[in-house]
Amino acid sequence: MTIKSVRTLVTNRQLPSPPADDLRPSSPRVCDAPDYPFKGWQPPQPEGYRQSAATSIETAFVIDNGSSTVKAGFSFDKAPRFMVPPIMARYRDRKNNKACTFVGHDAYADATTRGQIRNAFEPGTSIVTNWDVMEGVLDYVFIKLGVDEEGGIGRPVVMTEPMANLGYSRRMMNEVMFECYSAPSVTYGIDSLFSYRHNRGASGLVISSSHTATHLVPVLAGKPLYQSCARLNWGGSQAQEFLLKLLRLKYPTFPGKMNIEQMEEYVRRYCYISQDYDVELSHYLDWSGLEEERDIIIQYPYTEHIAPEKSTEELVRIAERKKESGRRLQEQAAKMRLDKLIKKEQEMEYYKQLHMNYVNAPTKKEQRRLLDADDFKDEAALERVIRELEKKIRKSRNKDLGAADEEEGMEQQTFPLLDVPDEELDEQGIKDKRHQRLLKSGVEARLRAKAEKERERARVAEEERLDLEKRENNFDDWVAGRRVARDNLLSKIKDRERLKQDAGNRKSLASQMRMKTLANLASDGPKRKRRGGGEYDDDFGANDEDWGVYRTVATEPASDEEEEEDPAAALRSLEAELLRYDPDFTEKETFDAQNDWTKSLIHAFLRGARPFDPESQKEAHQIHLNVERIRVPEVIFQPGIAGVDQAGLAEIAEGIVMGRTNPAEQQALLRDVFVTGGNTLFKGFEDRLRRELRGVVDASLMINVRRASDPVLDAWKGAAGWWSKSASSERNAATITKDEYLEKGSEYFREHSLGNSIAPAASSGS
Amino acid sequence: MALSTPQPSDDSHQQLLDQIDITAQRERIRNRNWKPSQRRNKNVKQIISESQRKEASVLASQNGSGASTPFPATGTNTGGAMTPVNTSGSTKQPNIAQAAQNLSTLVLEKNLQRNALPVGPAVTYTNIESAPSLHPAHSKHYCDITGLPSRYTDPKSRLRYHDKEVFGVVRTLPQGVAENYLAARGAHVVLK
Repeated sequence: MTIKSVRTLVTNRQLPSPPADDLRPSSPRVCDAPDYPFKGWQPPQPEGYRQSAATSIETAFVIDNGSSTVKAGFSFDKAPRFMVPPIMARYRDRKNNKACTFVGHDAYADATTRGQIRNAFEPGTSIVTNWDVMEGVLDYVFIKLGVDEEGGIGRPVVMTEPMANLGYSRRMMNEVMFECYSAPSVTYGIDSLFSYRHNRGASGLVISSSHTATHLVPVLAGKPLYQSCARLNWGGSQAQEFLLKLLRLKYPTFPGKMNIEQMEEYVRRYCYISQDYDVELSHYLDWSGLEEERDIIIQYPYTEHIAPEKSTEELVRIAERKKESGRRLQEQAAKMRLDKLIKKEQEMEYYKQLHMNYVNAPTKKEQRRLLDADDFKDEAALERVIRELEKKIRKSRNKDLGAADEEEGMEQQTFPLLDVPDEELDEQGIKDKRHQRLLKSGVEARLRAKAEKERERARVAEEERLDLEKRENNFDDWVAGRRVARDNLLSKIKDRERLKQDAGNRKSLASQMRMKTLANLASDGPKRKRRGGGEYDDDFGANDEDWGVYRTVATEPASDEEEEEDPAAALRSLEAELLRYDPDFTEKETFDAQNDWTKSLIHAFLRGARPFDPESQKEAHQIHLNVERIRVPEVIFQPGIAGVDQAGLAEIAEGIVMGRTNPAEQQALLRDVFVTGGNTLFKGFEDRLRRELRGVVDASLMINVRRASDPVLDAWKGAAGWWSKSASSERNAATITKDEYLEKGSEYFREHSLGNSIAPAASSGS
Repeated sequence: MALSTPQPSDDSHQQLLDQIDITAQRERIRNRNWKPSQRRNKNVKQIISESQRKEASVLASQNGSGASTPFPATGTNTGGAMTPVNTSGSTKQPNIAQAAQNLSTLVLEKNLQRNALPVGPAVTYTNIESAPSLHPAHSKHYCDITGLPSRYTDPKSRLRYHDKEVFGVVRTLPQGVAENYLAARGAHVVLK
């Protein structure tokens, strides 16, 4: 065999870029989440029952006992009269003290009934396991079809059952039919074979993918080959559950309520079979066509929090009020300042008066008395006070007038005493000298700081100059340096993010180190206690470095002023520089552009082709179906996607056709590959199946795939047609009568070409 | 409860409930004398294991029968514990058992032949389940998060991922979520 074509299976995704302005604007497709399928009261249709009264043995109840829908009607009907899900809600109403039973769609009536819903079928199988519910559903069906007499339904029953039904469940069904409803006879057949018969099939491969399972049954000349049939444990219900699982993982904090009934709707309405899964999949989140063709938004009910909008006059009023109160405060402050000033001036007046009195005092004693009365040590102290007050008054006056402080004046102060040796000074002089020295050191320190600032400014300017020089003379080096700096910043940002994430994870190295430090702190030092009740002191804090431990154990990054500036801001300024001077650095390469939502695959996956506003309740209540639309139906061809350890549909079909039949039969089967069941309603199912089969069977064989005229109802129609159109001998050969049931036991049944084969003696005999 | 005046909306809803409730009607059409077994609701696993046990017991008795199989002499097998008197006394017993066993085997074998001749092994619910895929091309890998084709596997969480952005997501998943992703693919192995 030679390789005829080569194709890359995994292709790189084309990065989405925002649509050009001249493109036609697309609008997102938003659909509302469906409500529960409550259909209101269904009136009974008794005329069919009355009509059949004349020929009660010839006309039968036909019930397609499907695990998603039970379809029921009479054998002379064109279509089933009632279609109900096989569910029942039964409970005792405490308020009215009576038992309630709601069946089918009625069970969705309100929250109480929904909470009590039980399914007749075991989830994920086509086997009835809850017989109380099954009886409820049959009761409902018979009531609605008009049965009103006591003592049984009085008509034969034609019923479908799954391929290779379990002996036990058939026995139970027989008991229910014959004991509870006193049916005169019951006939069982396989739904897919009824459907095939309805579509006039004779020889072919019947593929029936329904709610709980997918069956493949080869049929030759009207006879099913039971030995070669196969079941794939994947159907509509599994697809719904898979979708629900995926959506819960996709939106883990979704505020709306997703349920399996909605998933049914989504699978039915939005999913389709991809013709070339891998190719279509790898471009599914590409920008072009994402919104127009692939992304579907489901809107769940929500309430938008609307902040009360303030009117303009209200805003004006508020501003006015704010200004008013500000003014009041200012006035108060000014008044207080004025009061203080007045007080100080009065004080000064008083001290000046005192000084005058002191100077004019006739005797030393009098002088002394004046000073002592105001607790002054000597004249100098009094003068100092006056000086200080003068200064203060001047200062506050200046402040009121808005004049600048004459700070500089301080610096021109002279300190003459400092140059005079101590020996030449008296006690007062020495004191003053000390005071001057103190003042001088303060002034000097201020000057030093100023010079330092000046130097720093000069250094920065020099650096800038050098940088400029480097950029002009040695551009390559300059760019390389900038790029290195940028890389450093990027890695710093990344490190920070990692640290932040690790903080939440107890198993991370950082957290473990932290726990270790805390444990060490707690257990530090010797444990013995000093006798005599003395507190043990571990000297913590004696060394300044001890306090650093709080920095290391703090979970929140310290946000004090020592913390260097935000690396993101530094990065932004750096990138601005690069953008300006480096011709190789484009807008696209900036950190912001790289992390833009339009570049994000995850964003396209979660939020589609529009920016996401986390504040908006509307957007928070949306789910986007995109990849799921082909991922979920694909499982039937690749069950491994959902963890089903079985071969795909095409591989099973190939195994049946090529592995177990002779060439003539192979051709006969492939000429009529018949597809039926609700799970085959996906758009493109037959085409894909044909493609897949084409790839695995011999090229000389002709393949024809056809779909049932109505994949959901044809099983029922086939059963009804079979009963009403076939000869009574054929019917009787397939039917178990009540006499036979009573005589031969509850597991007795008859083989016929539309029903199951007799199970082995072991599981049927008893 | 009767004291409180019901809301009009409540009342109409209650009327609807009364209308769709079938409790009273279903009593009429059913056979009142029929009391089903309380334990008839069995799940599929129970049913299958019961039928398999039955099958196994039939097969076992079948194996222990037939012309070539030596008939186990129940009396003599007990060895020295029994006296010869007892053995001679029970000589007749094995014959009856042997006859009974032969008869049942005969019926079984005949049944089996009749079933087995045209078609081979019987078709049961369990054995029509299709086998795992043996085709190497069918083990394609897809990203666990997005479903896109995937070439890489995170060795830590064993999740498959599409590209480095998804890898960033994989590495920042909260605890336990990675397991849920694996479970959706059926790859979450829990050893008990």
